[in-house]
Amino acid sequence: MEKKFKISNKTVSTVVLSLSYAIMIVLAFTMIFPYLYMVLTTFKPMGETVSPELKVFPIVWTAESYKEIWQLVPFGRGILNTMTVEVPVILVGTFTSALGAYAFAKMRMPCSKIILLVLMSSMMVPFAALFLPQYQIYSSLGLTNNLLPLILPGLFGNISMVFFFIQFMGGIPTALLEAAKIDGCGHFKSFLHIMLPLLWPAMAAQAVFWFLGIWNDYFAPSIYLTKEEVMTLQPLINRLNATQGGRDLPLVMTGAFLSSIPLIAVYLAFQKYFMSALSITSGIK
Amino acid sequence: MTKQKSGKLVRREKITALVFVSPLIIGFIVFTLVCMIISFGWSFTNFNPISGRMKFDGWGQYVDLFTHPTYKKAFLDSILNTLFLLLSIPVSIIISVLIAALMNSKKFKGKTVFRVIIYLPAVTSVVAVNYIWRYMFEENYGLINAFFHAHIPWLTDETLVKVAMIIKNVWSGIGTQVILFMAGMQNISDEYYEAAELDGAGPVYKFLHITLPLVTPVLFYTIITGLIGGFQMFADVELFAGGHYGARTIVFFIRNYGIGQNLYGLASAASFLLAAIIMIITALQFKFNKWVEYTD
Repeated sequence: MEKKFKISNKTVSTVVLSLSYAIMIVLAFTMIFPYLYMVLTTFKPMGETVSPELKVFPIVWTAESYKEIWQLVPFGRGILNTMTVEVPVILVGTFTSALGAYAFAKMRMPCSKIILLVLMSSMMVPFAALFLPQYQIYSSLGLTNNLLPLILPGLFGNISMVFFFIQFMGGIPTALLEAAKIDGCGHFKSFLHIMLPLLWPAMAAQAVFWFLGIWNDYFAPSIYLTKEEVMTLQPLINRLNATQGGRDLPLVMTGAFLSSIPLIAVYLAFQKYFMSALSITSGIK
Repeated sequence: MTKQKSGKLVRREKITALVFVSPLIIGFIVFTLVCMIISFGWSFTNFNPISGRMKFDGWGQYVDLFTHPTYKKAFLDSILNTLFLLLSIPVSIIISVLIAALMNSKKFKGKTVFRVIIYLPAVTSVVAVNYIWRYMFEENYGLINAFFHAHIPWLTDETLVKVAMIIKNVWSGIGTQVILFMAGMQNISDEYYEAAELDGAGPVYKFLHITLPLVTPVLFYTIITGLIGGFQMFADVELFAGGHYGARTIVFFIRNYGIGQNLYGLASAASFLLAAIIMIITALQFKFNKWVEYTD
């Protein structure tokens, strides 16, 4: 009797397990297929993409789009523009965030709780409630069609990053910093030489997410940038679509694909990192 | 060390600390506080930067949003559209919880591979995600209609364009949620399951009575972040729906009437209503989420 029960239980769990695999394989296919389709489309001649007899694979393979895209829009310039925003914002912004977090976590500061609370309240304010004055100010300064409006705010740090760093620094023993103080280190020096090296993994994880956010930012660039030469990648590809009347799908898909490669490459390289950072950010682990 | 000297050191430390946080404070004042005040002020005027018109209008712009014959429909529809699009939150949560539960089974091999695949859309260029799906939903030569041998006007019908957008958003959003739910489920002690097994509980019972109640913090987090993001949807209205009326969200309305038509008063009023909604949601998060209680 007991034996029989055990066997049936085992059969049930085998069935459940194979069913799970079946579901997951279907799901994995659903997740990957659009990418495959995007890449395959980039190798199609234009006519094939708008024919009602749709084929997943190209009938005639061509790499024409990969040549054209550099000629029709300043695509290389778009990459450069995106990086012009990314590099200073990530480097300076991460540093100012870490420095601020250090003051909150490890130093005596008047009204520190109130200041932090006020700063954190900015997370509640949607960009939609801020961009009209920002736009008006920048355009009166002649700074539209300029990358500065996208760079400047980031230089002053990122409050959700600050919050994350404060939590992380909470786990670092203050005794380490006290020892440095006895050695005659100033606060800035102990931040630089003791805290920063310890904070490195947390900073890298947060910076990667920020990099992603800037790379994919569409709203602000679409407001400030109307000339192709100054456009970052996302609005530029949208422009590519608009100027082609949305008809040259292989070309548009090529832009979409090329603009995704760096992100996916970074992700696949640092995959483990991403997962843990994600759970830490949300406070689940 | 004399008392006076240590007092001096403390004061110096406090000043240094303030210097360290000063970039954050300056950034907050310039880019958030000042802009918020300006925008709040504008919402009580009929400001138009092109004509230079700026007259105090009291609550007039707010009233216009709900009653003015020209704007009323656009504004109310943008709210309804946004609310409709928020349906992607429950749909993706249900799917993510089930997937996470499947993958969390000990016998399930290949977790890493599946996790990597599911998270891919989150690390794909926004334009790419929107364009692939737009192409697949295309009425005449899109893959989805071809597959079903149908001519469904996914991108031109006012309701279907939202349905298509929800499908796209679920596809691109479940990765993050699956990972969060899996992390939450891994935190559940095995003892609970073992005890339930002794009582003869099956997998469904265990899921409903152990897993689900114990991942409510994750559930709460995903709902809140989903709502905050959902109320600010903008990019896909342009990139996926091509600005189709049936897909226009509140933020699209603000952008459209603000920068597009220079009705800054009206747009600011709408933006403040939006800000109020988001502030309430965020305040709820701060109140309920353990995540914020770092000081304790």
